[in-house]
Amino acid sequence: MNLYSYILRRLLYVVPVLLGVCLIIFVIFNVVAPDPAFILLGKHATHEQIAQLHHELGMDRPFWEQYLSIVRSAFTFDFGYSWSSKQQIWEMIKAGAGPSLSITIPLFIIVNIVSISTALLVSFYRGKMLDKTVLILSIAMMSIPSLAYILFGQWYFAYTLGWFEISGYEAGFPNFIPYTILPVLLYIAISWGPDTRFYRSVILDEVYQDYVRTARAKGVGELSIMFKHVLKNAMIPILTYVIIQIPFLILGLLLAEAFFSIPGLGGITIKAINTSDFPVIKAMTILSAVGFIIFGVITDVLYTVVDPRMRLK
Amino acid sequence: MKMRNILLALSVAAATVLTGCAKKQDASERVLNIVSPAEIKGYDPIMSDDLYSGREIAKIYEGLLAYHYLKMPYELIPNLAEAMPEVSKDGITYTFKIRKGVLFQDDAAFPNGKGREVEASDFVYSIKRLADSKNQASGWWILDGKLKGLNEWRDKNANLPVTNYDEEVEGLKALDKYTLQFKLAKPFPQFLYSLAMGFTSVVSKEVVAKYGKEFINHPVGTGPYVLPKFDQGKRIVYTKNPTFREKLYPSDASPEYQNLLGDAGKKLPLVDKVIVHVMVESQPAWLKFNKGEIDYFGVPKDNFATAVKDNKISGELADKGIVLTISPQLDVTYTSFNYDNKLFHNTNLRRAMYLAYDEAKANELFYNNTAFPAQSIVPPGIAGNDPAYKNQWKGPNIELAKKTLAAAGYPEGKGLPEIVYDIPDSTTSRQMGEYFQKQMEQIGIKIKISASPWPEFQAKLKKRSGQMFGIAWGADYPDAENFLQLFYGPNSAPGANSSNYNDPKFNKEFEQAVMMQDSPARTALYVKLNKYIAEEAVSLFGVHRQAYTLQQSWLRNYRASDLHHDNVQYLNLDTAKKEEMAKKF
Repeated sequence: MNLYSYILRRLLYVVPVLLGVCLIIFVIFNVVAPDPAFILLGKHATHEQIAQLHHELGMDRPFWEQYLSIVRSAFTFDFGYSWSSKQQIWEMIKAGAGPSLSITIPLFIIVNIVSISTALLVSFYRGKMLDKTVLILSIAMMSIPSLAYILFGQWYFAYTLGWFEISGYEAGFPNFIPYTILPVLLYIAISWGPDTRFYRSVILDEVYQDYVRTARAKGVGELSIMFKHVLKNAMIPILTYVIIQIPFLILGLLLAEAFFSIPGLGGITIKAINTSDFPVIKAMTILSAVGFIIFGVITDVLYTVVDPRMRLK
Repeated sequence: MKMRNILLALSVAAATVLTGCAKKQDASERVLNIVSPAEIKGYDPIMSDDLYSGREIAKIYEGLLAYHYLKMPYELIPNLAEAMPEVSKDGITYTFKIRKGVLFQDDAAFPNGKGREVEASDFVYSIKRLADSKNQASGWWILDGKLKGLNEWRDKNANLPVTNYDEEVEGLKALDKYTLQFKLAKPFPQFLYSLAMGFTSVVSKEVVAKYGKEFINHPVGTGPYVLPKFDQGKRIVYTKNPTFREKLYPSDASPEYQNLLGDAGKKLPLVDKVIVHVMVESQPAWLKFNKGEIDYFGVPKDNFATAVKDNKISGELADKGIVLTISPQLDVTYTSFNYDNKLFHNTNLRRAMYLAYDEAKANELFYNNTAFPAQSIVPPGIAGNDPAYKNQWKGPNIELAKKTLAAAGYPEGKGLPEIVYDIPDSTTSRQMGEYFQKQMEQIGIKIKISASPWPEFQAKLKKRSGQMFGIAWGADYPDAENFLQLFYGPNSAPGANSSNYNDPKFNKEFEQAVMMQDSPARTALYVKLNKYIAEEAVSLFGVHRQAYTLQQSWLRNYRASDLHHDNVQYLNLDTAKKEEMAKKF
C-alpha cells in the first residue's frame, strides 16, 4: 500500500477511536464522577444554587446532547473554559506545556541515549562482571519508589549540598534551567533501571540469532556486529518503546511537578480531577488519545524505514 | 555509574553557570516569601470561600470593615468605611460613611488606565454581584435572607437574560457618593462580620465588564498589593500598590501584642514585594524554610518531632534564630451522624459511641498532643464556650459505654447493623478511620470505612447519602452562631448542617439567640445551646487544634490568626538581620 494512503487510512481510524473515547469520558463523568456543583459552590451551597449551576454547566440537558457536546469538542478541539479557573483551556494548555516539556524533552532524550548505550555496552559484555553489575544495579534502582528519589534528591543535592534549587520555576529560557536540572537528573535515575533492562533484553534477543553467529563466523568484528546488525534489527521494539513515551511527555510528570512546584500540565490535570473540572479533564483525555493515535501511525511508518522488509497494509 | 557521574558533573557545572546568570535581586528591596499549601482558585471576591484563595484575595481587595491586627478578642474596625456604622435603635438600619479618595488600582479597564475613586455605589454593585444568581457566588450564604428586598431582587433577575443592576433594592442603597445604607430584613448583629469577609470586598464594574468570565484572573482592587494578571502558576508575585491610600500600622495593641508595636504609625504595606510559592507538598516547603528561603511556615505534621520538643523549638532551629508561635485555632473537629437515618435518633447509641472513643489517644496519635479536647462545638475564645464545662459523655469509659449501648437496645452491639463511616481518601483520614473503627469494636459496634476522593466525599454529605463522617469546621467569623448553625435544622445539607440534625427545641432557641445583640444574656443562651448539643451527643466532638508556626528571626510583626487574611500588609523584614543570619543557613 502506498505510504500516503496508509497514513490517511490510519488517521481515519481516529474517528471511531475518538467516538469511543468520548463515550468513555461521558460515562465516567455521568456515572462515576462526583457532582462538580458541590465543589464549585462551596460548603454553604443551596438546592437552588446547585440546580442553577447544573443548568449553566449543561448538566440538565438530555444525555445525547451532552454526549454530542463532548464529540464536538473532540473534533473541533474547542474545549471552552475551565469551570474552576475560568481560563480558556487552550491558554492553560499553552501555559502548562512549556514547563512540562522543559523537563520531559531533555529527560526523554538523555534517558533513551543513556539507556540504549548502556544496554548495548552490557550486551557486548554479556555475562561478564559489567553486565552483572549493571543488571543488579538496575534492579536495585527499579526497586526504589520514585518518591524516595525525589525526597532524597531534594534533601541531599538541593538542601544539603545546595547544588540546585529545592523547588520552583521561572518561565523563559534560560531562567527555567536551574529549576529543571534536578528533576531531570532524578527522573533519569528513576527511568534508567527499567529502560536499560528492557533494551538489554531486546538486544540480547538479537545477539543470539543465527545471523549474528554467521557474521561472527565470517570474522566481522563484535563492535560492527553490535552497531550495524544487532542494533538495526532491534530497532522495531526500541522504536515502539521510545515513541510510545512521547504522548506522556506532553502530559507531564505528576510527582515531579507536585514536588518541584512546576506549573506543568500534570498539575493542571490533577487539579482538574480534584475539583471535578470536567472540561479540563475532557481536554486532556482527548489530547492524550489523539497523541497516542498519531504517534502510533508514526511508529508504523518508521518500522518500514528501519526494516524495509515490512510492508504497510 | 561513570556515565551518571559525568552527567552529574556537567549538570552541576551548568547549574552553577546558569544560577549565576539568574536575575539578581535588588538588595534594598524587602521581599517577603511565603507558602500557600494549596492551589489558588482565583481572585473573584464572591468566590473566596476557601482559606487559601481568601488569603490571596485579601492582598488585593478590601471591604468596609476589617479586624484590628493587634487585638484579641477579635475587634472589628473601619477599613474602607470612614468609621463604624450608625445603627438604628431597632438594629435594622446600618449607615456607613465611606472613606474619600480611595482609588481602584490602575488597570486598562479605566480611562487612560488610571484607577478611579471608589464610591458608595461600588459597594451596592459589589453586593448585588454577590447576590446575582448568575454569578453562582459561593459567598451568597452570608447575605441570604439578610437584606430587605435583596432575595426578591435575586429571584426576579434569576430568569432574566441580563441582570438589572440599576433596579433599586430597599435594603441596599447609596444615599450619596460617600454614604451607604443597609436595611436588614430582621435584626442580625452578625451582619457586620460579613462586611469584613472577602465576599463583600469592593470591585469595579468597569473591570468586571472588561474581563467578563476571566475577571477571576484579573484582580483589580483597592488593597495594598497589585497583581496585574494571575496565570494560575506556582509563583505569585505581588508588588506594592503605588496608589494605595494612607493606611497606617496600628498604634495600640492588646497586652499580648505590645511587642509588635515597633512599626506603629508607619505607612502600610511594609514590604515591597510578596512572593507566594504554591507548594502543595510540605517536604520541599519545609526544606526551603530551613534554607531561609521562606519567611514563615506552619510546622508540617511529619516534621513536628524534629521541630518541636516539649512545646519548644528544637535546638537546631533555635540556633538559626527561628521562633515558634503556638496559637489556638478557631476550629473544631467532629464525627457526625446523618440524622436522616433513624438509627441515630437513639440518644443512648450516640452517647455509647462517644464514651467508647478515646480522644486523648487520638490527640496523641494525630495531633502530636497539641490540640485541646473539645467538649462541644464552640471553640475556646468565643463567647458561648464555657471553659469550666466538661462533657460527661466524652470517653474513654468503656464500662459505661457498654451499659449505655445496652440501654440503647444493643447489648454488646447485638442487633446493631454495621455502620458505614465516610472519610476523605487520604492517609491521615484512613488512619483516623481505622482508629475510630477499633475504638468502636471495643463495645461491639462494627464500623465499615468508606474512603472517597474529596469531591465525592463532599457530594455524599451534600446529597445526605452517608451514615457517619469525620469533618472539621473553621470559623468564618468569631461568633458562636457560626458554629451552632451547624446543627440548625433549616441549614441541613446541602447547607452547612451536614448532619441534618433538626431539633425544634434547639432551632427555636438558636433563632432567638441570633437576633440578640452581643450581651451577657446572649452569651448565656449560646452557652446553653452549646451544652445542650454536647449533652445530647449530637456529634462526637473531637479537638480544637492549635497552629504551630515557625518564623525566621528577621520577620517582624507576625501573629497567628484565623481571620486576618490581610496580614501580609503588616509584616516587615529586618534585611540587615537577614543578611547577618544568612551565614547560619
